[in-house]
Amino acid sequence: MDVGHEIIREQLFFRRELRERVHWFIKLRWGAACAGLLGLLAARLGGLTLSYGPPLAVVLFVAAYNAAFLMVGRRLESVRPATARPFEVFAHTQISLDLLSLFLLIHLTGGLASPLLVFVMFHVVLAGILLSPLSCYTYAILVILALGALIGLHLTGGVPSWDPRFSGPLFFFRPRFPEIVLPYLFFAAGVLIAAYLTTSIKVTLRFKGRDLMRVSRELEVSNAKLTSLYQMIREIGTHATPGRLMNSAVRNTALIMGVKACSIKLLDDDEKTLRFASTYGLSQDYLSKGAVRIDQSAINRRILEGSLYAIGHIDEKSYFQYPEDIRKEGIASMLCLPLRAEDKTLGVLCVYSGEPQFFTEADAEFFSLMTGLVALAMERLNREVAKTWFLNKAAHQLRSPVNAVVSMIQVLNRGYLGEMTGEQRETVDRCEKRLSIMRQVIDDLLKLAEQREVAPPPFYPVDLAEILDGLAGLYRSRAEGKGLALHFDIGANLPRVLATERLMDDLFANLISNAIKYTPRGGRIDVSLADDGDGRLRFEVSDTGIGIPEKDLPRLFSEFFRTEEAKAMEEAGTGLGLVIVRQTLDRLGGEVQVDSRPGQGSRFTCLIPAAPAPG
Amino acid sequence: MGADRNILIIDDDRDLVNSVRIILESRNYRVRTAHNSEEGLKRIEEEAPDLIILDVMMATDTEGFDLAYKLNRNPQTKDIPILMATAFPQKMAQEGPESFQHILGETWPVSLFLEKPIDPEELLSAVEDLLSG
Repeated sequence: MDVGHEIIREQLFFRRELRERVHWFIKLRWGAACAGLLGLLAARLGGLTLSYGPPLAVVLFVAAYNAAFLMVGRRLESVRPATARPFEVFAHTQISLDLLSLFLLIHLTGGLASPLLVFVMFHVVLAGILLSPLSCYTYAILVILALGALIGLHLTGGVPSWDPRFSGPLFFFRPRFPEIVLPYLFFAAGVLIAAYLTTSIKVTLRFKGRDLMRVSRELEVSNAKLTSLYQMIREIGTHATPGRLMNSAVRNTALIMGVKACSIKLLDDDEKTLRFASTYGLSQDYLSKGAVRIDQSAINRRILEGSLYAIGHIDEKSYFQYPEDIRKEGIASMLCLPLRAEDKTLGVLCVYSGEPQFFTEADAEFFSLMTGLVALAMERLNREVAKTWFLNKAAHQLRSPVNAVVSMIQVLNRGYLGEMTGEQRETVDRCEKRLSIMRQVIDDLLKLAEQREVAPPPFYPVDLAEILDGLAGLYRSRAEGKGLALHFDIGANLPRVLATERLMDDLFANLISNAIKYTPRGGRIDVSLADDGDGRLRFEVSDTGIGIPEKDLPRLFSEFFRTEEAKAMEEAGTGLGLVIVRQTLDRLGGEVQVDSRPGQGSRFTCLIPAAPAPG
Repeated sequence: MGADRNILIIDDDRDLVNSVRIILESRNYRVRTAHNSEEGLKRIEEEAPDLIILDVMMATDTEGFDLAYKLNRNPQTKDIPILMATAFPQKMAQEGPESFQHILGETWPVSLFLEKPIDPEELLSAVEDLLSG
């Protein structure tokens, strides 16, 4: 298929060339006609004795048929590039008419002695480049014959011999037989040599062009591969679970390599067995073989040791425990590499082809690149999972001792162990206050860890108005206690959003309690929830609080950040509330905007995508 | 008040057990303690308590629940009210009875849930309610 494809591409290349040149001829011909007119004018002014009428007529004839060609050329532009025939005919017509005109001019300017004779060469050369070698030689021979005929006619007096002369000394000689034979033979040889050189150079050019096209095709192929590799890395990077990541990796690998199947086998913790973790294109039957014991599988041992393993013909090797199953699966050749991240071997990635000897060296190299990237993505995700696990575990571990300390402090503080002095009580009060902030930090860390979990609780349609309604009472009394006016404006018949009640509860609570915390006594807080008319719900909390300095806005949503003003106003604060808000909105596909003026107030706007209407 | 009411606290955190004991003793409840479910069962055998305050997570994440189910299935102990304390009420609500309910169709074996750390006043009023109920 490749050879045929190459030839077609090559033909297309030369056809494109022909097509462009055909138009180029027309442009050049305008120049030739002008040059002809100017030449005649110069000859006249120079005092050349010549009958000017006939050559002028020829030049006008050239201009006339060139105008016709221009129109034909425009019509040909609508022809599909693949059809070369009309262009070939067009090129032949042009060359033939040009040669005819040229010979008329040669005839009118002295035959073999004409200074225009040399222009014949160009046509032979152009025919050699643009048309087939046969056409080139045909034109060459026609030219030689035509000139021979012309000389013959001149000699025999069949046509009048034009005899241009300057007024001064004789400029042209009058050809006579047999002296004329020698220049004629030289001319004929010149034409044939030109034809030979042009056609043979074109053949070499064709070969070179073929090479060039092969290289450009290879470049295209590797470019396509790199693009798909990039897309694959981007895609597998978005998966949050190892299972999904591996499924995406095997599917993409099989598609990019153009093979029937691909698999990832993972190494058990004891490093003794390999187990299919994800496959694409393999039958359930084949997979049911289960785990491979490494000490019994020479091939897998070698792969894990790190040597690239390519098997061209499954039949010819006896490495397999179950060669029958592999044949039944339709696998004729395979390529395997260990999945390695840094020093750790995670498992084995294999691609399987139905054709024997399918994989080339370039395929193997590319596959090795891909294996490295898949291993890297897997390792990155493993680390992410481990980090979340650690965060979760650490927060859990902190919680028990903090709870114990809180209980003991409360026992002291409420006087169960006897009354304390004023200063003792004050100190213990401070302990209790600091502990409650610490508990809040732990709770927030747990929430963040939970959001990053591999399998977070699934989303379902949630009624935000109902949740906000439920919170209104609690926050109203809190605001009243602080001398703040808190207003709720909750729209009616709002669409639901895909989330969990807990996530939304936390999101609302974080923003409303921030507003209460950072608004001085006597201030006002407005909370609204409405349909923004663009498939999203708009939740807005605006206050007349301390505001956020502009320089702090970029860091507002980063972990543990609190503005100096916030710290000065309110001790309790974890610096995690807004991180939770942002992370929640990221998960929901929403966004949060902040609009704030220091000393005047802040407005937080959350845009939350509405759930698709049922049905 | 509280006299000769006998309360058993089962929790592996000694400091927490101690705090709860101090709070309860201030109202003259008789308090006994155990630090795992095995010890707890022994104390129950010695003398049936009027109320059990039970931690959820001890050696395992569900040890408290396992014990509660055991007591609930035993005719001799099934009427003892259990006040369960957990530091992770949300986790409990989310993972729900399903992950703890060993036998399908069994009812929730606990009378009341409180979040740790338990506020002393809240604890006392809850205990009072359960004992009078």
